[in-house]
Amino acid sequence: MEFILFKRTMRQVLLLPVVACLVLAGILVWQISGANATVGLIEQADQRIALATLVEKLVVDEETGLRGYQTTADPRFLQPYHDAEVPMQQAIAQLQSMTRPGQQQLLNQFIQQHQTWHQGFAEPLIATIAAGGHATDVDLNLQGMARMNAMRDSLKAIVSAAEQSRKNRIAQWRLQTRHILFLLIGMALAIGLLIGLFTRVRLKSAYDSFQHQLDLQRQRTQELFESEQHLRTTLASIGDGVIVCDAEGRVQMMNLVAQDLTGWTESEAQNRPLEEVFHIVNEITRQPVENSVVRVQRLKRIVGVSQHTILLRKDGAEISVDDSGAPIRDAAGEITGIVMVFRDITLELKTRAALLANEKLAVAGRLAATIAHEIHNPLDSVANLLYLLQHEPKEEESKQFLQMAHNELARVTQISRAMLSLYRESNAPVSVNLKEMLDDLLLLMQRRFQILGVTVSTDLPPEIAVEGFPAELRQVFTNLIINAAEAAGQGGNVTVRVRPQPDGAASGQAAEAGATVEIMDNGPGISPENRSRIFQPFFTTKGQSGTGLGLWVSQGIIRKHAGTIDIDSRTEGPNHGATARVFLASKPVIHLGGN
Amino acid sequence: MDNSSPLVLCVDDETVGLRVRQMLLERAGYKVLIAVDGYSGLELFAAHPVDAVVLDYSMPGMHGGQVAEKMRKTKPKVPILLLSAYLDLPAEVTSLADVYMTKGEGAPALLDKLGNLIPNSPHPIRQPK
Repeated sequence: MEFILFKRTMRQVLLLPVVACLVLAGILVWQISGANATVGLIEQADQRIALATLVEKLVVDEETGLRGYQTTADPRFLQPYHDAEVPMQQAIAQLQSMTRPGQQQLLNQFIQQHQTWHQGFAEPLIATIAAGGHATDVDLNLQGMARMNAMRDSLKAIVSAAEQSRKNRIAQWRLQTRHILFLLIGMALAIGLLIGLFTRVRLKSAYDSFQHQLDLQRQRTQELFESEQHLRTTLASIGDGVIVCDAEGRVQMMNLVAQDLTGWTESEAQNRPLEEVFHIVNEITRQPVENSVVRVQRLKRIVGVSQHTILLRKDGAEISVDDSGAPIRDAAGEITGIVMVFRDITLELKTRAALLANEKLAVAGRLAATIAHEIHNPLDSVANLLYLLQHEPKEEESKQFLQMAHNELARVTQISRAMLSLYRESNAPVSVNLKEMLDDLLLLMQRRFQILGVTVSTDLPPEIAVEGFPAELRQVFTNLIINAAEAAGQGGNVTVRVRPQPDGAASGQAAEAGATVEIMDNGPGISPENRSRIFQPFFTTKGQSGTGLGLWVSQGIIRKHAGTIDIDSRTEGPNHGATARVFLASKPVIHLGGN
Repeated sequence: MDNSSPLVLCVDDETVGLRVRQMLLERAGYKVLIAVDGYSGLELFAAHPVDAVVLDYSMPGMHGGQVAEKMRKTKPKVPILLLSAYLDLPAEVTSLADVYMTKGEGAPALLDKLGNLIPNSPHPIRQPK
């Protein structure tokens, strides 16, 4: 049930009893006012009885006064008779006003009778006595008595009618109060039932709604539990180490791989600072390295892999790792925790080193044919010359043979030196004369160019030098030049040139001083789909004869030398071919481990 | 050197080695023709009654295997000695030649092997004193 509906129900449950009670009160007021009206009528009947009784007393007073005067002829006895006259008029008038028109018959009858008695009997009698006459006539007195009795009967009838009316009205009032009582009980029952039923219905619907919400909540809780179990299983199954820390960098959770790699169990590591559990140092400097969690705390964002990091395990063993971290944020975007992922890259580094060594050997393999040829040919000549010298040569010939043997041996020496310089590496960068280096390489490859039928032209200014590791640079240029020669093919051309590159101060660009080596061929060029993949490891277009590592390794070496390498290609038009450009800075900041 | 001396054709793109080999063979009593590539070698082979060929394998344009194949097609009986600076040549190449040897094995080896290929070969040059 929605909150608005619930509020409406609450309002209904409050308002309905109030409205019902108001209706009940209205009905009661109506009924009670009816009863009150009846009470008013009863009071009226009481007044009428009282008035009729008063009139009866006044009639008695009049008769008594008249009798006394008749007996004594003393006008003082007549006083009550006169005194009754005015109140009698008033009482009759009052009675008249209180009697409904339909019930005035008895009253009119009495008024008539009283008037007849008053004028037909009392007044003549008084006048007779006042005139000194006698009023003892029996018939006259009997007549007067009869009239008086008739008056009294009328009055009795009036009182009796009023009493009857009063009795009726009291009965009516009782009936009314009983009605009110029944009505009250009946309505109280009805309203109570109504309110009860209504409230029950509304509460039932609210209960159903809350029950539904409760079921939903239970279902969600179950789903949440399952989801959490799912995530926990996922986390535990991840092949990388995962450590979850709180916002302060204290360990909260570790998966099995993380426990295995660090040597700490989850319970041991719980709430310890990450630096203690995940103790990493730089591979080369042995200085402590800022871990991902600290970097995330500092930078407040996802941080990438840090390089050359060694994890010191709890048992003191060392493994190469890379780690990355990401913040865990709450709904408001505040960092509530940090998750760090790391993995053992020891094997990967060893594999990489093996690959690099392998590629170095592959370069040697590419040159092996040349070397064999360049050494065996002069050796063959020298062996033959020595044989000739042993067999009685002429003086002139001996000199010539010796000179030829000397030249051939010099050729072997040169080849041997050029070859060895491919493998002899210095520990620190040294100055490398680009012309000397490229000439050496071209010499080693000369035979290969011949076999491939490739013409090589060069533009190598003599005094351009850069700092670097010569053997590595030789490896790069051997790869690039052999690639160019193989691409150019029979009858093709390869151009090798070096251009000095002054620093960007003159042109306003932030470029370093150095040199660009360009190796250009007029082969078919590189197709666009291959173009994007040539620097990927194990990508080769040479089938079984290529390792697919040449350009990948070359790129690593050039990056280590803080240089750049890129390859332009034109697959159409008369200028088709590829151009490899390598920029090397004169004084580079060497990135150790650039591979 | 008389007219009965066998005629040997030497083909090699290494000019110094070729010249030395020519001198060596001439001293040993052979008549020697030289060519610096396969094409001119085949021309000389067609034009002269060559008794044996000393052929270098690794040459620009046409390698020794290809040259030997063409020679076998025209004059299959002429023995061919294949020389190479490389140690491992494919079998289909070495099978084309009668003898295969690596450069640098020394002059006596060359003369012995060549002598075995030609029935009426001249005497080897005198042994050193």
